[in-house]
Amino acid sequence: MNKNSILKRWGRGIIKNKKASFGLYFVFSLIGLSIFGPLFTLDPTAFLGTPLSPPSLEHFFGTNGQGQDVLSQTIAGARQTLLVAFTTGFFVVIIGAFIGGAAGYYGGKVDDFLSLIINVFLVMPGLPLMVILASWLPPGPLTLAGVLILTGWAWNARVIRSQMMSLKGRDFVLAAIISGESNSRIIFVEIMPRILSLLASSFIGASVYAIGAQVGLEFLGLGDVSTVSWGTNLYWASNDLALLTGSWWTFVPTGLSIALISFSLTLINFGIDEVTNPRLISEKNWKKELPDNTLNNGVTPVVRKNV
Amino acid sequence: MSKNLISIKNLDVKYITNKKPVHAVKDVSFDIKKGEIFGLVGESGCGKSTVVQSIIRTLNPPAIITNGYIKYNNKDILSLSVSEVRKLRWSQISIVMQSALNALNPVLTIKEQIIDVFITHKGMSKFEAVEKSKELLELVDIDRDRLESYAHELSGGMRQRVVLAIALALTPPLIIMDEPTTALDVIIEREILLKILELRKSLDFTILFITHDLNLLLEFADKIGVMKKGELVEVDITKKIKLGGEKEYTKKLISSLPSASGKRGIEFFPEPNLPSKTGIPMLEMKNINKEYLIGGFFKKKTLHAVKDFSLRIFKGEIIGLVGESGSGKSTIAQLITRLETQTSGSILLNGTDLKRNRSKNVSLGYRKKVQMIFQDPFGSLNNIHNVYHHLSRPILRHNIVPKIKLEKYIYKLLESVELSPGKLFAKKFPHEMSGGERQRVAIARALSVKPDLVIADEPTSMLDVSIRMDILRILAKLRNEHNVAILFITHDLASARYLADRIIVLQNGKKIEQGIAEDLIQSPKELYTKQLIAAASPGWLENAILEQ
Repeated sequence: MNKNSILKRWGRGIIKNKKASFGLYFVFSLIGLSIFGPLFTLDPTAFLGTPLSPPSLEHFFGTNGQGQDVLSQTIAGARQTLLVAFTTGFFVVIIGAFIGGAAGYYGGKVDDFLSLIINVFLVMPGLPLMVILASWLPPGPLTLAGVLILTGWAWNARVIRSQMMSLKGRDFVLAAIISGESNSRIIFVEIMPRILSLLASSFIGASVYAIGAQVGLEFLGLGDVSTVSWGTNLYWASNDLALLTGSWWTFVPTGLSIALISFSLTLINFGIDEVTNPRLISEKNWKKELPDNTLNNGVTPVVRKNV
Repeated sequence: MSKNLISIKNLDVKYITNKKPVHAVKDVSFDIKKGEIFGLVGESGCGKSTVVQSIIRTLNPPAIITNGYIKYNNKDILSLSVSEVRKLRWSQISIVMQSALNALNPVLTIKEQIIDVFITHKGMSKFEAVEKSKELLELVDIDRDRLESYAHELSGGMRQRVVLAIALALTPPLIIMDEPTTALDVIIEREILLKILELRKSLDFTILFITHDLNLLLEFADKIGVMKKGELVEVDITKKIKLGGEKEYTKKLISSLPSASGKRGIEFFPEPNLPSKTGIPMLEMKNINKEYLIGGFFKKKTLHAVKDFSLRIFKGEIIGLVGESGSGKSTIAQLITRLETQTSGSILLNGTDLKRNRSKNVSLGYRKKVQMIFQDPFGSLNNIHNVYHHLSRPILRHNIVPKIKLEKYIYKLLESVELSPGKLFAKKFPHEMSGGERQRVAIARALSVKPDLVIADEPTSMLDVSIRMDILRILAKLRNEHNVAILFITHDLASARYLADRIIVLQNGKKIEQGIAEDLIQSPKELYTKQLIAAASPGWLENAILEQ
């Protein structure tokens, strides 16, 4: 591959893109923090000081109702939350690519059968199913990821199926069929790279969804409350009546972290959009150069210098 | 000397992009006199459409006009206000677009679209407008009852007439025609042009005619402007252009026009060799029928795309399959490449009948023998992968050469389609090459597995005129070198004449006529073939007017 490969160009574009690199920076620092942070912080489950004491030099983010250090809890919580989020994102994309890809590519009876399965999962009410499954299965991060994948994959499969259907009739696919390529190679080497941006943004979209849903379930007490994650942090904060007692420091750090990671992931998504669809950037550029009254009136703007 | 209706001076149009602005039109100046037919010719992307769209200022940003004047009746269009431009459009200058299906709104009837013009511009009542619309339709030879039709209920030619009628609605002094006949079959193209010329006589308008087809302009334009890469290379009266013009580029364009009548004029083609047609044909199609089920859930119709078609291809032979769009020629290509399965009939390879498999289960052995070159070289190459990938895959899949020799084989292959040095081109990606280069890669890919038969489905129709002949020449050369049979599918009888040994003429899925190429051109038997030949010969328009 030389430097003119489209994939490499996208890679370079993402790094150069302000939104995407900003998002990537935050996501990677949070991931780094969640991996290495717990080595340097206090034990998040130990009773360390007066419960509900406000931020101080000893405890930067104060302590919660159990006398645990909020900073340590926030950092330790990132680990499980992000793990569940990215696992879910990964499997949602993989399952979607396999099932949606096969349904779209083969068509006919294969499509009828796979579409039936996809549709069944689509019409299942996701939230109640999630609540029931999460409360019925043994609580834990694995259960959470499983539940989220089960309720989340179908939509993505549907999107990939429709993309596949539009691409499979293209000449380059027909050319590959005629040259004798095997079906799996056509799907994964010829077609999938063409929808890489879609796969990447599905991954990010699914991860953001997984963070929200996971925190929601845990907040309702449907996760394993003995582990430390952002969802359980909020669950305990609510149990300790943090709002009534005015102890904002027990939920604000976690809440901000959730907002920050979702925001960063969404920024990456915007970045991917701009890089793979250059029109979005150039629109910004030409809007800057033209006088306002010439925009969007259906008449070609004239900018003559020597008139 | 009549005065200039429109006069363009030093026009510059730029597109703002992320990097440098693209200079789409550079310093273009020309005048059109009242009553003239001015033809603007150029290859795709040369800026000819940008020029005409600047005249009525319909280009949207990022396009901006950065320099020059466009004077219409001595008034500069570029300094008019938005509302003045709107008034000018349609009442003074109207435009006929290329694709009539896209120019008409599919969810409105023809009536609603025509009366709209009268009501907005002339303030007519609805009743008056409908009456006017009926007259207008009759003017372009469409029955007045068709006013209630939707666009999809009309044929391509009729749709183009409706678009023409809408452009004529306010009898504007200038009508811009942007490739109005490109999407049409040659015979219908001829009817539409005759109609335009006839109407021009009675309504007296000036025409600015845009096309990529210089042959067409030579038939009826008074003056021709040749554009290349945003610049106007040459403007002259048609007579002088016909003789070759002054500029190198014009000469090249003129010399690359094959003709379907007269003597076989182009030397660099090898004379057709007629392989002995004895023994078992390499590929045979016997009484092939293909039906498609179309329509919705309740109203199913069958479309009979190919009717009782038989064909025998011998080794090393080039057969030209000539037909217009909808004649079933692409379906035949899909049947031979087994992307589709025939409804009835059989396909024999070297005398053995092939089972009717689905396209995804066809044997590797068959794939090795029959290869295909597609119409659109950009679509048929995957822009994720480089040239090396495209060529190496089929070679490895079919074990054509051992892995160690692969690289050299690919370079040689690229050089045989005149892409040299092969090493350089192997590294390129599709988007780094021109259309002609991409098509050569597609040819190399088809030949990489040493097939017995290559199906070339309109391999030149998406390419610029000046390089079409090169591609045909390469195909002819490769046939001689590899002794490969080629089924050359085209709508252009003239190019089939030069490349093919035998020609088969197809209409509505049926074989109309077949014969040795030169014989068929010189003495066609069927009326349809005669019409096709007439429409592809110089001077046809004049002859047609004389006939009338």
